[in-house]
Amino acid sequence: MQVPAVSPVSPLLALGVFFVLVAVAATLFWPRRGVIARWVRLYRMTERVWLEDALKQVRQMEEGTRPATVESLAGALEVGRGHAMRLVERLVDRGLATSEAGRLALTPAGREYALRMVRTHRLLERYLADQTGMAPADWHEEAERREHALSAAEAERLSATLGNPRYDPHGDPIPTSTGELPAANGRALPAFAAGQAVRVIHLEDEPREPFERLLALGLRPGVGLRVLASDPQGVRFRFDGREHTLPRVVGDQITAVPLAPGDHLDEQVHGTLAGLAPGEAARVVRISAACQGPQRRRLLDLGVVPGTEISVEYASPGGDPVAYNIRGALIALRRTQAELIQVEPRLTQAAS
Amino acid sequence: MSAPTLPRPGKGQQLVQLQSRAGRHDFLVALAGNPNTGKSTVFNALTGLRQHTGNWPGKTVSRAEGLFQHGGRKIRLVDLPGTYSLQAGSTDEEVARDFLLFGGPDVTVVVLDATRLERNLHLTLQILEITDRVVICLNLMDEARRHGIAVDPAKLERELGVPVVAAAARNGEGIPALLDAMLAVAKGERTTTPFRVEAYPPEVDTVLREVVPAVTAAFPGLPNARWVALRLLQGDQRIESGIAEGILGGEGAGAVRVASPARGAALLETVNALRWRLKPSFEDSLAEGLYRASEQIAGRVELRGVRRAKFDFDRKLDRLLTSRTFGFPLMLLILTVVFWLTIAGANVPSAMLANLLIDQAHPWLKGLGAMAGLPGWINGFLFDGVYLATAWVISVMLPPMAIFFPVFTLLEDFGYLPRVAFNLDAMFRRAGAHGKQALTMCMGFGCNAAGVVATRVIDSPRERLVAIITNNFSLCNGRWPTQILIASIFIGALAPPALAGLASAAAVVGVAVLGILMMFLSSWLLTRTVLRGEATTFSLELPPYRPPNVLRTLYTSLIDRTLIVLWRAVVFAAPAGAVIWLTGNVHVGGASIAEHVVRALDPFGVLLGLNGVILLAYIVAIPANEIIIPTVLMLTVLTARVAGVGPGDGVMFELDSQMQVATLLKGAGWTALTGINLMLFSLLHNPCSTTIYTIYKETGSARWTVLSVALPLVLGFTLCFLVAQVWRLVT
Repeated sequence: MQVPAVSPVSPLLALGVFFVLVAVAATLFWPRRGVIARWVRLYRMTERVWLEDALKQVRQMEEGTRPATVESLAGALEVGRGHAMRLVERLVDRGLATSEAGRLALTPAGREYALRMVRTHRLLERYLADQTGMAPADWHEEAERREHALSAAEAERLSATLGNPRYDPHGDPIPTSTGELPAANGRALPAFAAGQAVRVIHLEDEPREPFERLLALGLRPGVGLRVLASDPQGVRFRFDGREHTLPRVVGDQITAVPLAPGDHLDEQVHGTLAGLAPGEAARVVRISAACQGPQRRRLLDLGVVPGTEISVEYASPGGDPVAYNIRGALIALRRTQAELIQVEPRLTQAAS
Repeated sequence: MSAPTLPRPGKGQQLVQLQSRAGRHDFLVALAGNPNTGKSTVFNALTGLRQHTGNWPGKTVSRAEGLFQHGGRKIRLVDLPGTYSLQAGSTDEEVARDFLLFGGPDVTVVVLDATRLERNLHLTLQILEITDRVVICLNLMDEARRHGIAVDPAKLERELGVPVVAAAARNGEGIPALLDAMLAVAKGERTTTPFRVEAYPPEVDTVLREVVPAVTAAFPGLPNARWVALRLLQGDQRIESGIAEGILGGEGAGAVRVASPARGAALLETVNALRWRLKPSFEDSLAEGLYRASEQIAGRVELRGVRRAKFDFDRKLDRLLTSRTFGFPLMLLILTVVFWLTIAGANVPSAMLANLLIDQAHPWLKGLGAMAGLPGWINGFLFDGVYLATAWVISVMLPPMAIFFPVFTLLEDFGYLPRVAFNLDAMFRRAGAHGKQALTMCMGFGCNAAGVVATRVIDSPRERLVAIITNNFSLCNGRWPTQILIASIFIGALAPPALAGLASAAAVVGVAVLGILMMFLSSWLLTRTVLRGEATTFSLELPPYRPPNVLRTLYTSLIDRTLIVLWRAVVFAAPAGAVIWLTGNVHVGGASIAEHVVRALDPFGVLLGLNGVILLAYIVAIPANEIIIPTVLMLTVLTARVAGVGPGDGVMFELDSQMQVATLLKGAGWTALTGINLMLFSLLHNPCSTTIYTIYKETGSARWTVLSVALPLVLGFTLCFLVAQVWRLVT
């Protein structure tokens, strides 16, 4: 049998078919925007998912100042009034909510269900923050997508493997499995008087763009800052030695509490480890709040704790990573990590 | 994006069961310590077992065990992974911690590096919180003396409240004393009063004052109530489930049972209520407290005034090896020497082995079979199939591996490889990978299965997966012979005769470089698509340089890597040999199975610029890339019905001269395109079955295994297809 040296198919035809196939595969399988991804998303929006989302919205309205009505529910879910109406009917049928004189209210069973949804959602966000490399701005959406798929037992298992976390990565308390939830006691940042030192307890992640803006400033739950001025237009504050001004609506996404007695706001400007040159040494002040989860744990375990003295030994040929002497061991850290370690300079080691 | 899998419940289950199966010892001893403290050397010194000791952080990922006798008692020693902490942040830490907590060791030996006491004490203090049956092995005393650091073991013993033995395990110093101390603590002849951190932040202390009584009420007589209380406040799942089940401290002698289930439930309730009073970041202050205590203890027992403790030699060497000017050239030089040694050094022994196993032993075995009256088909199946494939794999694979692995291991033990990772990290970072992937990639040039195992040194989950999935892009030594042969026949022929050798060598190097580019490209793609959600951390310890122990390295790397990889390859090659022989000798409808399959695959093969023979060869030779060329030759003769070449149907062979091979292949319709695409496909196709199996074992996931197989295969098909069409358009 002689192998034909020339392909029976014309190369141009073969290439043409190939590129058409690639194009078809891309439209079908492209992550998030492909036909299949869209179809799966649509398919997932079952009756139960709609009801669970409606429950969460009603609960949020009850907590807030907006009255819970069919109209506001339709707005929050971005559906027509008729659809919202049908959802409310289903909720009432199942004994999860009541509707009297146009006002919606959750029954105790409905509130318990809603709280369980909140718990699952916040647990998932904690999981995404701690155990995955997903970007902070994506946590909410991903948790929103997956919370409906998790049974109560699975949520408990997730909680256990995460070490029963108390707060989600936005600073919100996670309701316990028995439904306990400490009362939120913070206020929106613009509500504080000028000169007040506060600690951030929560960053609202919706809408997404302003949330990303807050993250970019380095704000995280747990950081301290001082309000400098607050007026209807915006709020001005000092954080990490720098002054920032945010429009009021963005400032409203920050919830804070006054500094507790004995809690001290460090207002000194600190450099970071990344700012040191080889041969220089510095003392660690803190690891930035932006460093969370496994990254933070690793740095702590390596001995990067407040007070640790770190000297810069030498840089790699490309300048990044850099080798540091941390408590006697030579540890290479990347620039992105070194930027998260705030330090106060120390006198250069005396030349030997 | 596909959903990342949810965390599965603890991996420590196997460890918990350890003691039930290990009934044949009197005492169970755990060996713990930071990475790079010479822990494995201590293990070897105690057990006499040759465990591989690399100068690498995080070496002992799978647990090693040894059984030995001392003072008439049988002691089982378990080497735990080297960790910086017991916070259960990584798999290593989880394994170590679970064993200490639930494995019920009678004694825990903590190995400390005397040159960096403060760092090592951090882990020691955590262990002392869990158990008081501890012996400290103050190792590397010789190194400390060399660097001008004096540590007072007696003083350290008073500070820590447990026996401290000064040692230099490398030359056996202090080992007898360590054994005695171990036995004394195990028998209970020596009581200990371990140091416990006193001061916690005030708000933690207040909460602890409420939780500790609840713990002791629920579990009277628990030796580490305060530690249990702290872990509960941190939300430690294993401890919580222990309390829910009513037993703490495993099932061994140290186990403590709950006083009453109600007390256990009450304890959990107390903890859940109190946890809200702690600051979200109170774990930070715990770590800080431990390090502060370590610092104070180290300060009291160290005498640094003797001579300035500086690693002058290390720093000088580092400046050179990681310098802007010399770093890369030196690295290239060293790696080139390693590869040159491997390829040049393996030629002669490979030829000798091939001569012995294939040219001499094969006919002799067949003759023996015929004499013993074996029917022809059994004789052929056994010796032409099973034996021949195995012999081929051994003769091609063993010599390069027996050279490459020891040399690579010597560099590893000396401490140079972490510097390579340091130098190259910037490049790998841009592709979303870890600098240590440079090393697993180099290891892959020796053997992809070994490269996959080597990814254990990468402690960040996402980067490790990237390194595993892309390791196959390193052209392993089983594929080099194919590349060299085909390049000489088809590429060399394209160049003028004087430059033929150079052209074919350049082609082979080009294919290897293409593999490296593909590795970067697919790492970049993977971390931006399917692996986007996986967790990532980075840290790279650059250990002090240590003179490698040449003889032991040769011995252990031979046992550890070469023979294990070889054994797996042989296990897979033998059945492949059988299959190859059968395809050539089982006839259906007047033609052998091989002929049918080749004919069916041929149109597809030709479309890719290959042919049916090559595709079938890659299907039946999945177990080992080494037998691709012999299989291709056998199948070509079989299907093209060339008379007078080769020993018979289904029998793999090689021809003595390249000319003969070239004539045979060209006669069967091979062109330069076939040659080029075979080289490309040899680089870009599924990993061999040994590697696939290793990937499955290392990732524990069918999903990642399938991806590792599909990715290079799809790339290979696509690239070959495109090259073929463009080639046909141009020529």
